[in-house]
Amino acid sequence: MSRFLSFIFGLILVTATAMPVSASVPEDMVKTMAANVTTQVRAVPANSNGVTPQVQAIIEHDIVPRFDFNRITQIAMGRNWAKASPSEQREIVTQFTHLLVRTYSNAINNLRDMDVVVKGSRSNGSEGDVTVRTQMVGRNQPTAIDYFLSNASGGWKVYDVQVEGVSLVSAYRDEFTSLVSNSGIAGVIDALKKKNTR
Amino acid sequence: MKPMKFRSVTQLLLALVFAFGLASGAARAQDKVNDPFEPLNRGIFFFNEIFDAVITTPVTSIYKAIIPDPVRRSIGGVFGNLDDLYSGVNHGLQGKGKQAGTDFSRVLINTTIGLGGLFDVAGDMGLAKSKTDYGVTLGAWGVGAGPYLVLPVMGPSSVRDTVGRGLRIASDPRTYIPWQTGYSLTAAEIVHLRAANASAENLIASSSLDKYNFTRSLYLQRRESQVRDAREAN
Repeated sequence: MSRFLSFIFGLILVTATAMPVSASVPEDMVKTMAANVTTQVRAVPANSNGVTPQVQAIIEHDIVPRFDFNRITQIAMGRNWAKASPSEQREIVTQFTHLLVRTYSNAINNLRDMDVVVKGSRSNGSEGDVTVRTQMVGRNQPTAIDYFLSNASGGWKVYDVQVEGVSLVSAYRDEFTSLVSNSGIAGVIDALKKKNTR
Repeated sequence: MKPMKFRSVTQLLLALVFAFGLASGAARAQDKVNDPFEPLNRGIFFFNEIFDAVITTPVTSIYKAIIPDPVRRSIGGVFGNLDDLYSGVNHGLQGKGKQAGTDFSRVLINTTIGLGGLFDVAGDMGLAKSKTDYGVTLGAWGVGAGPYLVLPVMGPSSVRDTVGRGLRIASDPRTYIPWQTGYSLTAAEIVHLRAANASAENLIASSSLDKYNFTRSLYLQRRESQVRDAREAN
């Protein structure tokens, strides 16, 4: 009888330690993502002219799969998302993703000397919605960067990045709102296309 | 109704700030950006872009070419030292005594051992820098930002933050020295800050669809974030 109990006890112990604590999964993901990107970008020689194709490739490989660009675009479009047709919506997502990848590549390129330290995470109300707080440390004061993640669409994905309290998605939402009121949905698509071809 | 009398321009400005501040609370509820002066602001923004391209950037390039990075950082330390003094005053006004103490300790240590701010000795000792200003203090006291403003050369601001700047200028020693030296020191600080922010500036330029909109959003969000942090109890 006691051997059976020990066996059950052992089984419980093993499964308990094997189960990941739910809060640390998104934290680990951000940690891994940041570490991978930092290591790879530092291996690429610095180019003062801007982002090299190698850095862009790193971003596309390591960052893009972990971001939910559909959701990001919907948030940025706000109430105007419903005004766009499905093909327009797809076009906006494509163009906006391209712009964000370029922006992120530029930022990473400029910040290649800095280290990312994960500070912890907090829930945003529901279980599948967390914010992972990080700090970028380098020469000057550390910069707070918060990653907002959701696992609503299968797997943890980033849907907003806030730098020192400034939400990138909110900044683009202001842009899109202005564009739609001035030149409609077509205006948004045109502006994005023009920006991406420069 | 008896007309209100203002004993000084400062009083008038503070009254305006409070008036706009109360009004801006209502504007926020409408989910629209508070920028009633947008056409004027865009004009000044455009002027600032030209001024920056024609005057500030060339001077900044020369500054960066002649003065090596470590020296530039030391120069930054001197300007930052003065900032720490105002951060201390404002942290005190925001009710954050401990942080104010840290700020004043930084000024003392960096001015003496750090040779006027050239070296951030206090930072190395663990006294972290924490910048705040009169604009954030007014916000922490409940004054809303008010309409967005773009100031000539100085850039994005708001009615509240402009009053904050005014308070800072009024209490800055550079205002009270011969104007040639005062302006030269201010110009030097502008060039220094511009050089330090060059990569951020490039990033904004390359990521925005409408630079004016983007800058406005970043500025207003940043200020609200600072005010929120200031309102938090210790």
